[in-house]
Formats: sequence, structure tokens, C-alpha cells
Amino acid sequence: MNQLRAELLKIRSTRTTIGLLLGMILLALIVIILTCTLSPIDQIFTEQDQVGLLSFGSIAGVFSALAGIMLVTSEYRFGTMRPTFLFNPNRSRLFASKALAGLLAGLVFGVIAEGLTFAIGLAILEGRHIHIALSGSNITELIVGSVVGTALWGIMGVGLGAIIRNQVGAVIALLAFGFVVENLVFGLLPSVGRFLPVHAGDSMLGFTGQHYLSGTIGSVVLVAWAVVLAGAGLAAIKGRDVQ
Amino acid sequence: MTFVVQSEALTKKYDGVLAVDDLSFTIESGTITGFLGPNGAGKTTTLRMLLGLANPTSGHATIFGVPYAELPTPALRVGAVLEATDFHPGRTGRDHLRTLSRAAGLPDSRVDEVLALVELTGAAKRRVKGYSLGMRQRLGLAAALLGNPDLLVLDEPANGLDPEGVRWLRDFLRDFASGGRTVLVSSHVLAEVAQTVDQVLIINHGRLVTESSLEDLTTHTTVSVRVRSPKITELAEALRREGLDSITTNDHALLVHNATSERVGDIAFAAGLAIHELMSETSSLEEVFLDLTSGESS
Repeated sequence: MNQLRAELLKIRSTRTTIGLLLGMILLALIVIILTCTLSPIDQIFTEQDQVGLLSFGSIAGVFSALAGIMLVTSEYRFGTMRPTFLFNPNRSRLFASKALAGLLAGLVFGVIAEGLTFAIGLAILEGRHIHIALSGSNITELIVGSVVGTALWGIMGVGLGAIIRNQVGAVIALLAFGFVVENLVFGLLPSVGRFLPVHAGDSMLGFTGQHYLSGTIGSVVLVAWAVVLAGAGLAAIKGRDVQ
Repeated sequence: MTFVVQSEALTKKYDGVLAVDDLSFTIESGTITGFLGPNGAGKTTTLRMLLGLANPTSGHATIFGVPYAELPTPALRVGAVLEATDFHPGRTGRDHLRTLSRAAGLPDSRVDEVLALVELTGAAKRRVKGYSLGMRQRLGLAAALLGNPDLLVLDEPANGLDPEGVRWLRDFLRDFASGGRTVLVSSHVLAEVAQTVDQVLIINHGRLVTESSLEDLTTHTTVSVRVRSPKITELAEALRREGLDSITTNDHALLVHNATSERVGDIAFAAGLAIHELMSETSSLEEVFLDLTSGESS
């Protein structure tokens, strides 16, 4: 518990995470305002169109993962891992605190991003007199899926950071995998690609495209990814010497 | 009795290279120990193993009788500074300490106390990137002092400090140890710690060269004899038969420890070896240290 408080203070006491949060808010605002305002009505009319439109809040996952990566890699980059380990040599507990801090940061990111997307997106659609085709369960799925997915990305970021340790390397690995590798695999081999984390996360939002997993299976798959990455990160933290 | 620090056959191998080789020593409470050796001798690796940051290849180390990682709240027993630069540049000095004090369950008031102790109160709310090296050193020390520990471990604390900083550190360590607490301080320059320490551990190539009080080091090895001879190898051999160790200096003379010029002259005469120079030298502590460490490497 003490270590968790320490980790949360680490997140708040530099500008990095605040910067990520502001960047995310800015990106979400721009994209949601532009797409809701400029899309022709016949492209944002159906339920699936509107799910797609309002799912943009899930972009928070990228920022949450970056925050998780920073939580570990900046400690290696600036050497604070030494005092951190000296004050808490129980590495399992230390890693658990970091993973939990990543999860909590992700929850905040997810709530803000999806909250903004919903509030602004729905307001613009109403203003354009477009009928809201979403059902209550659509909305629940979007909000819960996006927030939970973003929180899980926070844990995955912590795991990835612990495995790679080099800050630039970990960030590149995340972006290259999330934006390039996954899309390639999903495009070429959708039966495999749908089990990858970004697409598993998308299925949690209520996408019903032909290759997507069901929401429930998608959630289980994304949780499994978080568990695997966290487990590998824990093993890396425990096994390696600190220079 | 329980030693404050106990190292038993501590060994660390990196990629087949022995960084620390079968190192055993103990440190008693209330002492200031200088942990000395040239750069690359294995000092930092040893300290990392003592503090649970690195796992020994074999052997083991205990602090207050248990491995470091098994101390319930280690910050309350041990304060350590391994690098003077271990800060996030964008975090304030005070927040750096707060992240650590929280991990140890200490209140923020303790953070302000240690900031005052190292004279950083005025800079506490500035980001660390604006700190001078001396200020960073003191911030590191403040972190080590958060838990009011009984043992302080400092790795090369005088590196990069100006003379005023070195004096400040010396006074500080004396003050700390005067209350019966223990200090382990490493350095590659004996002179930096000679005025502070009670005893020295000297290592070279990962092995213990000398473990003695500073007094013994001074009285037993400061008198040596410098001798030149055309048959230097034979002379060294003759001296060794008489129980005198010597080392070869860069200008092809022999430096004989713990000897008088009479004794060395007599041995050379008895062995029928010509002598071109014979001179008694009182070496400084630093020379003793250099002899001890360079002697091992040749």
C-alpha cells in the first residue's frame, strides 16, 4: 500500500503523465469534433456507424500504455530504480504496485477520454438532428469496454517497460506493434489477428464486424494479454541485476 | 556477535569474468570503514550485492544478520547512495524524497527534516535539473537519511565534489558515526577518506588485499627502502628468501616494504649483488595504497 502511494506520487510529480493526458485530450477533442461535424449523415446513421464514431475514446489505451511504460522505463533511464529498489527490495510487491498504479492511471485516462467523446459526440449529433441509433447496451458496452480496455493497457505498458527497460525501445515496440504489426496480421490472417490485444480490445467496444471476437471472449483475451505481459515483466524485474 | 555487515566468500561473475572473487570481510558497529581500490576493482559490484541489487554468483552477504532484502523496512536500518545522479530531472527535490518516504511509510515532515539536515530547504521545490552536482550529492544523502538508519553506505561520495563539499561530507560522516552508527564509504582515492575512516578494506581485481585499521596501515608499511641493482631479479629473490617482499617500480628499482636500508644492504652483500642506489623512504599513505593495489596486478 505504501509502495502504491509512492508510485501514484511518481506519476503525479513529473510533467510526463500530465503531458500524455493533455495530448490525449487534445487528440480526442480534435478527432471527435471533426468526425462528428464533418461526416455526411449517411455515414453516421446506423448503430455500427455510431459505435465506430463514439469508440474513439479507446485511443486512451495508447496513452495509458505509454504512461505504464514511463512508470518503469524512466526509473531505469534516470537511475531512480536504485533508490526505489533500496527502499523496497521486495520486487514482486514493487512490480505489483507499479502494475496497479498503471491500471489506476489507465482508468483515469479511459474515463476522461470516453467521457469527452460521449459528451461532445452526442451533443454534436443532437445538434445536427441525427437520430441516436445506439441502445442502452451499446452505450454500456462502449463505456465499460473502453475504460476497462484502457486500464488493462496501463498494466500491459508496465509489463512491456519492465521487459524492454529502454524507454525509446519500449515506446517504439508499443507503437510499431499496435499500429503496424497488428493491422498487418489482422489484414492477412484475421483468424489470428483478432486475438491480438488491440483487436481484442475493439471487440469489447461492441464492434460486430465478421472477424471480431465476441465482447466476452475479447475481454478474456485482453485480460490474458495483460496477465502474460505482467507476468513476463515481473520475471524480468525479479531476475535481473540493477546496474 | 552480529556484525553490521558480513560478506562471506562473495563472488560475482559477469560473462565469465570475475568482478568480485571470494570476498570475505566483516564490519563492526560504530566504525567508519573505507572501502578502497582502483576503479574497476569490484567495489560497486560488491556494494550492489550487499544491498540486494545484484545477486552473487556464489557466497552471501548479510546486513544486521540477514540478507538486505529480508530487512522488514530496510530504509529504517540502512541508508545508501550508489550514484549521485539518480533523480528524475523533472521532479522537485522534495517530491523525489516524498516518493521514497512514502515507500518506507514515513511522513512528509521527515522529508523536510532531512532537507534541512543537508541544507537544501531553499531548493526543495525546484526541479532537480537545476541542481548543481554538490546539491545532487546532498539530495542523494538526504534520501539515504530519510529512515534515520544505523548504517550508511556511500559509493564514491566525494566524486566531483569541490574541496568545500569534501570537507562538508567529512564533517557530516564524523558527526553521523559519533553516535555509534556505522559508515561504509568507498573511494578510489585513499586521501579522500584517510582523515575520516577508522579502518580500511582494500580490494583489487575483486579480491581482498588488506583489511586493517588505518593506524596499522600507516605504521606497518610506510617505511620502505628503494634499491637499484643491475641484477634486480636476483636481488628480489634474495630479499624474498629473507622474508622481505618487494615490488618493481617503473624505473627498474625495487621498493622493499617494512625494511631498513641496513638490512637490505646486508642481504645484497651476502648474496654478492652490486647495489647502485640504496635509499630509505617514508611513503605517504597514498603511496602505500598505490603499492598495495598495483602490487597485486603485476
